Amino acid sequence: MEISAIKSELIKILGKDKVLTDDLDLMYYSYDSSFLTKLHPKAPYAVVMPRSTGEVQKVTRFAYENNIKIVPRGAGTGETGGCIALEGGIVFDLSSWNDIDEIDAANMQVIVRPGVIHAELNKELNKKNLFFPPDPGSSLMCTIGGMVANNASGLRAVKYGCTEQYILGLEIVLPNGEIIKTGGQKTKCIKNVSGLNLNKLMVGSEGVLGIITQIRLRCWPKPKARGIAMAVFDDLDQAPAAVLDVYQSGILPSGIEILDSSAISAVNQYKPEINLPRAEAILLFEVDGNPPSVDYEGSLIKEIAGKRAVSVEWATDPQRMNELWEGRSVTATAAARVRADGTRVFAGEDIAVPLDKVADTLRQIRALAAKYDILVVNYGHIGDGNVHTAPVINPEVPEEVEKVQQLVHEIHLLAIELQGSTTGEHGVGAVRRQYAELEHGPAVKYMQGVKSVFDDKGLMNPGKLF
Amino acid sequence: MLNFKELPAVKKQLMKCVRCGKCRSVCPVFEEIKNETVAPRGHVFMVQMLRDGQVAPSRQVGEHLSNCLLCETCTVNCPSGIDIHELNAAARSYVYDKNKNAAKDLLFDKFWTNPSLIAAGVKCMSFAQKLGLQTLFRNIGLTKLLPGDLSKAEKILTSAPSRSARSRLAPVNAAKKDKKLRIGYFLGCATNVLYPDVALATVKVLVNNGCEVIIPENLKCYGLPHIANGKIGAARELMIHNIKEFQKYDPDYIITDCASCSSALESKNLEFLFAGSPYEESARQLSEKVMDLCVLLIEVLNIKIPEGSRASEKEPSPKITYHDPCHLVNAQGVSKAPRELLQRIPGAEYREMDLAQRCCGGSGTFSLTHYDLSMKILDRKMKSAQKTGADIIATNCPSCIMQLKHGVRLHNLSAQVKHPVEIISDFY
Repeated sequence: MEISAIKSELIKILGKDKVLTDDLDLMYYSYDSSFLTKLHPKAPYAVVMPRSTGEVQKVTRFAYENNIKIVPRGAGTGETGGCIALEGGIVFDLSSWNDIDEIDAANMQVIVRPGVIHAELNKELNKKNLFFPPDPGSSLMCTIGGMVANNASGLRAVKYGCTEQYILGLEIVLPNGEIIKTGGQKTKCIKNVSGLNLNKLMVGSEGVLGIITQIRLRCWPKPKARGIAMAVFDDLDQAPAAVLDVYQSGILPSGIEILDSSAISAVNQYKPEINLPRAEAILLFEVDGNPPSVDYEGSLIKEIAGKRAVSVEWATDPQRMNELWEGRSVTATAAARVRADGTRVFAGEDIAVPLDKVADTLRQIRALAAKYDILVVNYGHIGDGNVHTAPVINPEVPEEVEKVQQLVHEIHLLAIELQGSTTGEHGVGAVRRQYAELEHGPAVKYMQGVKSVFDDKGLMNPGKLF
Repeated sequence: MLNFKELPAVKKQLMKCVRCGKCRSVCPVFEEIKNETVAPRGHVFMVQMLRDGQVAPSRQVGEHLSNCLLCETCTVNCPSGIDIHELNAAARSYVYDKNKNAAKDLLFDKFWTNPSLIAAGVKCMSFAQKLGLQTLFRNIGLTKLLPGDLSKAEKILTSAPSRSARSRLAPVNAAKKDKKLRIGYFLGCATNVLYPDVALATVKVLVNNGCEVIIPENLKCYGLPHIANGKIGAARELMIHNIKEFQKYDPDYIITDCASCSSALESKNLEFLFAGSPYEESARQLSEKVMDLCVLLIEVLNIKIPEGSRASEKEPSPKITYHDPCHLVNAQGVSKAPRELLQRIPGAEYREMDLAQRCCGGSGTFSLTHYDLSMKILDRKMKSAQKTGADIIATNCPSCIMQLKHGVRLHNLSAQVKHPVEIISDFY
């Protein structure tokens, strides 16, 4: 089918207000936050903005009948090119479909549409003393649909895990237009082992199996107290060791974050009022729970981390806690501040390694950065071995682009070599699919087989995941 | 002068955008339209496409770029430190240069650069309003013939006063009691012709607080409407004219009651306009003296508002809320001084509104060119204001005053919209 015919058919199906067909409009859908699309933006044939399951179904059926590829998209904050129509096709912008259908406090769950923003959801849940615990750095802008598609987590995954642990049920429109509900058709229970667990299959499937149109999420009671300990290290190796010490003392913090010296510098340049101390590394331990337990765990962390750290600050003042936590959550983009003529690129940014290999990993990344002469900012969720590496380059200098791509490739290989993974939470998308065979071996063949059950024509988000 | 591709913002900042999307979470326009074509990072992307020649500087691109209030909310929230509004303004100018429009040239080059013509135009409008012509034209549908959104937006303009501030104020106003400061008053076009009472109040309060107030006679527009409409060259010429005017008087401070005027005169904006120009240094020197009126009253003069001398003492004490003009809070980081001033008003009760720092949708000419969108943004603001139960919505920008007054009419509210200085001048 000609692209112009696709466009006019889509307008017939959804109406002019819910379809973008103009070439200039479509260019805005040629990027996400990945380095890949910064270098090679790719616009879709058309963008649709459905606001009901029926509308999603109509467009999917049309695409299926005419063999047109389809790509779901949330807020476009992903770092892997996952929501880009790299092989052409129709993009479903689901970010404006942001209804919270029901907050069922009695049953500790919430039912939402895919475009609900993470921070907005928690604002509403807070009114009922509930919360949805996964806490991505992009909370203010990322959508719940995107979080489910990527099995996102974030700063509190240490204690609260990833999105998958909170999915009670999903409504999915399959590529052929069929609508299924995973986790039970009518159930509202929170414990359920009936049937094959399609919830788990769909979470993190990155849009290659179907389009998520409704999400039933488990919520948790909101902890009453919170505190943050900031431990300052003059030796990078001591920081991962302190994390292991804290675990071995029997404490499970809600978050353990690391910033290396360049990340500290970036945060201070972005928000001078946070005023982090200059050091080789900083660890932020967040503990939450009831007030006495928070105080107890805080004092214990102070004592334990203090054996390896130069100093430990324990903060329970809300303003100071917010400053410290915000400092960490903005590091992703503030990283660029360390070089006046540079920017951070989202590539090789999400490896995960076993806890006892974190120190080794950080050392080797530094050595690789020196080898390629590229400034690198390291930070991340050290509590679960998830290291975010931010190379800072001038993307308009071709030699730097070439070098950073080699560096990133070596970082990915390093992760696999150290018994880790190329991605801890950001996903595979288009940028890490080349490592699928290396990471998963013959299992990839079965992954492809599963996809073909749902997507017999191979129309759903092609060129991603494997 | 530097061309588009050589401008500091374009040269140094474009590549810094990592498209994290934080700007999506703060942009008032995005909140209404909710698709990527209006996201601030989308504008940055389009500027890059323009610079790299991937997109031609067509009129259509100009229309896309115009879907932005230039409120600077994205700029102050950008973790990568990008001056997104500057990139947008620079691109608008680049696109406009390739797609000139005779009517727009006439409006911005001839009319809006000439204070006498602006005053005469408003006088005609006032005369027409008095004769009931505006109502007549509306009733017989003539206003619908105005181009684009102007047919709806003309409703924003109501009750233009017959006499301008300039015709009612002396160029030099001596300080009462001991003179402490010599103040150059940048009397902006909108205050002059639409809200002359604000100018009268400004002079009254300043002279009563030991200031000699000089109003240079030949000041012209500060140029922000020109920047917003792709006329950077005209804005630069206006600014050079104004710099020369103020150089004649050597004031201690240059103040303005208008947030947009002071933001246009502040250093970052001047750097954007004058990079590589022989006027760069004099522009910098001028900007160092520029200050918002409320900041001067609180931080420099630390005024105490006299009690018991209020003109209409029998009225009950008012409940006051405050709306932050974007060009004050975002462009200049000023938010405390106006609140402090309002809280010093004897007997008044200050009530903070939700999202006081969120744009009201006015943004100079935006409400005229994008009326429907502007009204959606205004609706949210009016709901916040209404929730406070305030009798007075105070704000210090004529564009916001005009927009909020329109909002009060649309929502049938009883609240008045006033500049803070209008409220405190009653006590002198």
